[in-house]
Amino acid sequence: MKQGFRQCMAWLHTWAGLIPGWILFAVFLTGTAAYYRGETTAWMRPELRTALPAPDAATLAVQELQRIAPDGPWFIGLPTDSDPLIRVFWRSREQRRFRDGVIDPVSGRLAEAGETRGGEFFYRFHFELHMPPIWGRWVVGACAMAMLVAILSGVITHRRIFADFFTFRPGKAAGRSWLDAHNALAVLALPYHLMITYTGLVTLMFMYMPWGIQVAYQGNSQAYFADTLGIPPPVRPAGQAAPLTDIAPLVAEALRRWPEAGVRRISVQSPGDANARISLGRGDGPELPIKRQELVFSGTTGELRAATGNEAPAVQTAGAMYRLHFARFESHLLRFLFFLSGLAGTAMVGTGLVLWAAKRVPKRAGQGAARRGFGLRLVETLNLGTVFGLPVAMLGFFWADRLLPRVMEARSDWEIRIFFGLWLLAYLHAALRPGRRGWAEQAGFAALLGLGLPLLTALTTRYHLGVTLPAGDWLMAGMDLGFLGFGLAFALAARKLWRESRRAAAAAPLGRLRAEGA
Amino acid sequence: MAVLALGLAYPGFLLLSLAMDRHHRELLGGAPPRPRRLALRLTGAALLGLSTLPCFALWGWSIGPVAWCGVLTVAALGLVALLAFAPRAAVLLAPLLPVLGLSAWIGLE
Repeated sequence: MKQGFRQCMAWLHTWAGLIPGWILFAVFLTGTAAYYRGETTAWMRPELRTALPAPDAATLAVQELQRIAPDGPWFIGLPTDSDPLIRVFWRSREQRRFRDGVIDPVSGRLAEAGETRGGEFFYRFHFELHMPPIWGRWVVGACAMAMLVAILSGVITHRRIFADFFTFRPGKAAGRSWLDAHNALAVLALPYHLMITYTGLVTLMFMYMPWGIQVAYQGNSQAYFADTLGIPPPVRPAGQAAPLTDIAPLVAEALRRWPEAGVRRISVQSPGDANARISLGRGDGPELPIKRQELVFSGTTGELRAATGNEAPAVQTAGAMYRLHFARFESHLLRFLFFLSGLAGTAMVGTGLVLWAAKRVPKRAGQGAARRGFGLRLVETLNLGTVFGLPVAMLGFFWADRLLPRVMEARSDWEIRIFFGLWLLAYLHAALRPGRRGWAEQAGFAALLGLGLPLLTALTTRYHLGVTLPAGDWLMAGMDLGFLGFGLAFALAARKLWRESRRAAAAAPLGRLRAEGA
Repeated sequence: MAVLALGLAYPGFLLLSLAMDRHHRELLGGAPPRPRRLALRLTGAALLGLSTLPCFALWGWSIGPVAWCGVLTVAALGLVALLAFAPRAAVLLAPLLPVLGLSAWIGLE
């Protein structure tokens, strides 16, 4: 090794950070948005929100599912404070694939209007990238591994962690202040960055590292999960019809056992059959680990068959990691702290990407474009299209939901098409308008989208800030205020970038305007 | 009580930053003499330690440490931003936050 250890690590940090950097930025930002995935979906379908007690909500869901998919299997998600919709998933006999929907709490029917993927879209995107799930998960896993490498090599590279702990000098030379920002965002939220990257890998560990299970259980992963989580084997229908028992008393019994955690998911197998089975899954309690506990009832008599769960230390450790990654906390404040840390992580990746380009911009202004190699141009385009283009596309997704007709064919697909369309346009724009001017324009557009969303809510729904704030409807008001906040931040960024691009244009002699990228 | 946690962590970080030459010069002028530097470090660290208590009280022993990390991150990032853009406000906020936190806490009792 000719170079020092630190230079080696600096090289590693640069490339392990840059190459997966754009994907990591998208994973971080959509993952951060996914902390509010329940709220996102509820904001899009505010009229479907309900505060029905769990037994009543379950009864409503079962009645509707008996109508639309009498054979099951069914899964029911009960409304909570942060996800106040009655969600149902089912598979009907004709269509082999699973379908999902939301129960209208007033009519008791499956809601037809306003079909959307909602927050689920961001959630799934952050680990599947809207690719075929297996491919997406492998790509994200590889990027997350690179992220872990980048974090550790970054800590080694950063010589002055404590001396520069509070240092941020925005006025200094461009490279310096970007480096300061990158360092501060990385160091001050370091526990979060390490935790979220590592636990993210852990959530998909059975896919990334299946060998232990393959050896110990001869590839029978179902037996493994039965052992670790106590999941009973699937039931075989008896072929004999028998009415399903009333679900409300079962839910009430579960609530008696889990007064704090409550019931989160219900699964019903072979409803209407003599062998029907109903399992109630426990919600999240005041302790850190997510506990996978279920009460398993006979679907015909309502008799309690089993109470599953495993409190072994390894299971608890995994449960604690899942809880940390999902941030499934009752406390809004705690989830907000995770959200802020997630934004810090996003900004860390973003500043790192910008820093890479800022360091390599030709020093002498006059010799611009010709000397800007293809690599630098490519990175600059990808940077702008990702760092500002993705927020534009995400805000556009919310706009699409409000603007598309409430009832239309493949409505949720169109929302996603608009999201990707906008994102693609952002890359095109970034390629055609390099330099600060391009950044200013995209920031300005994002600001318009963000600031406009509360207005759009007022124009298209009954749940605008004038109503939700006095009523203390913090879910709707919080989302709208959040959009305002992001819009404002983008507006400030746009103003600053616009001024800088004007200044740069004024400073450069006329013929060299393009060279400056202004 | 969450404000109290922030109200202890934020001044804690401010004192720790004041124990460093660069920030002491910017905020108060001159480099801190040795005894003052030591006092700043000790009080700062003590305040950070104390800020665990509201977190444990609010979220329990299991989730409390997680929340504490979050509070520290937000306090430090807020301080860095204020030091850069509004240094005077950064100092003024230090006594204000704990007072706010205490009164909110006592008001709740």
